[in-house]
Amino acid sequence: MGRGNRVVGWGVFFLLLTGLIWGPVPTNAQEVIKVGIILPLTGEKAKFGEIEKNSFVMALNEINKAGGVKGKKIELLFEDDTGKPDVARSAVEKLVSKDNVVMLGGGYGSSETYSIAGVAQQKKIPFLINTGSADKITEQGWNFVFRLNPPVSEYSEAAEGFFKDIAKPKTAAILFENTLFGTSGSKEVEKSLKDLGIQVLLKEGYEHGAVDFKPLLIKVKNGNPDLVYMISYVMDASLIMRQSMELDINPKMFVGGGAGFTLPEFYQNAGKAAEGVFSADLWVPSLPYPGAMEYFKNYKKAYGKETEYHGAEAYAAMQVIADVLKRAKSFSPEDVRQALAGTDLMTVFGKIKFTSYGKMTNQSKVPTYLVQWIKGRLECVWPKPVATAPYIYPHKPWKGR
Amino acid sequence: MLVFVQTIVAGILIGGLYALIGIGMTLIMGVMGIINLAHGQIMMVSMYLTYVCFNTFGMDPYLSLVVTMPALFFISFYIGKYLLVPLIGRDSILPENQVLMTVGIAICLTETMRFIFTSNYQSVRTGYSNKAFYLGDISFNFPLAVAFLIAIGITVALFFFLMKTDIGRAIRATAQDKDAAVLMGINQQRITYATYGLGAALTAAAGSLLLPIYYLFPDLGGPFTLKAFVITILGGMGSTVGAILGGLTLGIAESLGATYISMGYKDAVGMVIFLLVLIFIPGGLKRFTKI
Amino acid sequence: MKSSLGLLKALVVLVIAGIVPLFIKQDYYIHLLILVLMWVIIGSCWNLISGYTGQVSFGQAAFFGVGAYTAGILFTKLELSPWWGLVLGGWTAMILALIIGYLCFRLRGPYFALATLAAGEILRLIANNWVDFTEGMVGILIMQTFSSKLPYYYLVLGLAACCLGVISLVMNSKLGYYFVSIREDQDAAESLGINTTLYKNLSLLISSFFTGTAGAFYLNYMGFIDPSVVFSLHDISIQAILVGIIGGVATIWGPALGALIMVGIQELFRTAIFGLAPKWVSQGHAMAFGILVVLTILFMSNGVVGDWSKIKRLFIRKSPEAAS
Repeated sequence: MGRGNRVVGWGVFFLLLTGLIWGPVPTNAQEVIKVGIILPLTGEKAKFGEIEKNSFVMALNEINKAGGVKGKKIELLFEDDTGKPDVARSAVEKLVSKDNVVMLGGGYGSSETYSIAGVAQQKKIPFLINTGSADKITEQGWNFVFRLNPPVSEYSEAAEGFFKDIAKPKTAAILFENTLFGTSGSKEVEKSLKDLGIQVLLKEGYEHGAVDFKPLLIKVKNGNPDLVYMISYVMDASLIMRQSMELDINPKMFVGGGAGFTLPEFYQNAGKAAEGVFSADLWVPSLPYPGAMEYFKNYKKAYGKETEYHGAEAYAAMQVIADVLKRAKSFSPEDVRQALAGTDLMTVFGKIKFTSYGKMTNQSKVPTYLVQWIKGRLECVWPKPVATAPYIYPHKPWKGR
Repeated sequence: MLVFVQTIVAGILIGGLYALIGIGMTLIMGVMGIINLAHGQIMMVSMYLTYVCFNTFGMDPYLSLVVTMPALFFISFYIGKYLLVPLIGRDSILPENQVLMTVGIAICLTETMRFIFTSNYQSVRTGYSNKAFYLGDISFNFPLAVAFLIAIGITVALFFFLMKTDIGRAIRATAQDKDAAVLMGINQQRITYATYGLGAALTAAAGSLLLPIYYLFPDLGGPFTLKAFVITILGGMGSTVGAILGGLTLGIAESLGATYISMGYKDAVGMVIFLLVLIFIPGGLKRFTKI
Repeated sequence: MKSSLGLLKALVVLVIAGIVPLFIKQDYYIHLLILVLMWVIIGSCWNLISGYTGQVSFGQAAFFGVGAYTAGILFTKLELSPWWGLVLGGWTAMILALIIGYLCFRLRGPYFALATLAAGEILRLIANNWVDFTEGMVGILIMQTFSSKLPYYYLVLGLAACCLGVISLVMNSKLGYYFVSIREDQDAAESLGINTTLYKNLSLLISSFFTGTAGAFYLNYMGFIDPSVVFSLHDISIQAILVGIIGGVATIWGPALGALIMVGIQELFRTAIFGLAPKWVSQGHAMAFGILVVLTILFMSNGVVGDWSKIKRLFIRKSPEAAS
């Protein structure tokens, strides 16, 4: 056994030695501009990662076909963070030190985005976030981190407008999944509701993936709130609605906080229980932004499925990246950062301009919307000027349908 | 008061399903002495099979029991034969090799399903998926209630099998004393394989019953394996009645915990019970029953 | 004597490991090496309590997480630098080990394994829900103190060397004999007058100390922790077991090799061999793992290092005369 150990020991470290000295292959970066995009391509969040990746690629192809940037093509290097913040970090390491990207993009899950942003700031590589929404990511004063999408505290702005003008609920229950997205989102919603004078009867988190939400929903039914606000990913959202229907819970309004509630899969899985459910949404194809409807139609043509706000964020991010690289004086991190800071671009997602407000820095402010599932379609119902269908309020009791 | 009753009802219904998952594992652990960390994954495979039956053949999940149970019986039979039984009695430093082998099997099963079906969440929507019936103000989830009844039916059938048939008695004999059983002429190997298959078939049934009310993705196995363990330990290894009691206890405890402590701690309830039983009631609830 | 040869080999390995990073230009590979070294520690600690002492632990994540959160909470609540956690993380993990040992060592074999699994999961759920104390799933984020990777590399190398050194010393001493005797036959050992409870606890204390320290190192290096990362059953506890099994249980160098194989396979697959292989390969790393585990247990149940002679025989056929 001793001899075996020795051989192994030598073997291991010689392998290491040769592998690592030989390993680092110099990259040929003259012909393309490399941008690193970190998304969950496998794992639980893979569905969203896929929509975003497809959207990035769609936009990239259009940009490169039109000549690229300064005569060069942009190349997107996708890295899979598998939905875990530590893997996200490994992905950043690889993109920055091995692939020598000029900037980073992507960032889907809040924990992963937070982790990537910390590393990007430390390594002084510009990072354009397009989905990770926990507020604190842009509250750190990091000047290399920019966020295109609204923070989760702004998701419910349109919904709040609706509450103030139309619904005027008196009591509410907030249900959320125990993740960074859900936890921080619910805190913000609770604050906003209290500011509107709405009493929050119940605010409770759950481990996502639960089979049985009844214990939680029974408490909701007992409290009989006017409004039920839920922050969940798609499968939990479906189950919560189905079980609410079973328990015959009838508030005046069910509102989802985006994420799972706006996906076509939500309706597919929740069926009748999804009918009439509202949700905060960050984008609908009917918005008067140039290219928005074309993007929606082209995506459906190319991939056979419908896209939604995550895809729009990714498409817009690519538009911003191309614009930034065009304006940057050089591809050094500081010049790219400056170009990013000076962005003022209309995209399919809205006008992207990074400002600082409240505690946040480098945050773009885009309006949010209230949508509702009506007869199996996701319609925009508020604010009125961009509505595609009239809202249905109050909620029709389950038993009467 | 209403909240309390509704909570208990919810707990009992899900407890019935848990019990079915637990019976499968307790049989395997009792007879083979194998700790099967791939238990939840077997259920997951059965759910995919049910899903395929539903989508391709239009077979109702309850009907597909006749497909999934035998299918998983055979799959597990061969897994047991080629991967697990060779390890019993093999000389190696760590006796727990077989547990770790099941970890490897679990990973392979999960990844194979992921490869075939992708990580996407799938679900089946039957006409009765969302139905509930009401007794007064208390709602009973229809599919869960059906699952509960079927679980009872399967358990009763199992009892007959174990008590009255020859193979059943051979299984019980092997569980009680392997060597004596061999001396009595029982083909111990065949019984071992058969038990593994039987345990898997029961778990497969639980999967088919669960699909209408939950959803499906490759990684779903893990939490259910843990629950199966809690139930097995709670009820006592090898005891079917114990598994039933254990399943119901876990279901009710989780339900109460979720309502009165918080939903976030629901899973912790199971873990705490697990630890407490392990430490203070070794041998489980079966101590208090006769079977 | 055997141990001086082993010491020489160990020193050579240490020197090589110390020089290697100076020749590597890309930080990414140093990052991988740091991960490997961290897993060397975690795997070796699992090996001590499970491989050598025979008490298979499925809950190493409990110690890792406690160490990481010691560093994290000292930072968030007391505004102390997380480096303090590096010093204290091992000690809090040891306190946890005393509790777990007291509760669980009365259980044998698979029951002990399951109890440790439950312990790890309970801690994860507490960390998740006790948001006021641990920040829950919001997690704890710190900025790395050093922008270069080298200080971290040498730090974790030092920790790994310490860990392996201690384990080696322990296993070569009477303590080691006691551990192995407990693994082989606990009752016989007890009847010979060996205080098995005491020695099992000692083994767990050493194991938890370095695992907890590794956890604190993790926070300092990776910069971000949350309960699903550091208390993870799948990513920490089970990985620790796989590292030990594939490398070789009950050997000193086994877990080290296992760590290398594991991190190597993971990154190789995730990046599709750094971009050289077709894209679908990146989906396969978990499967490759599963297959590796099954094959290893079937054919090399003592791991690569443990069954090294068996492996050698596959490649080198010696005729009976040449053997002498």
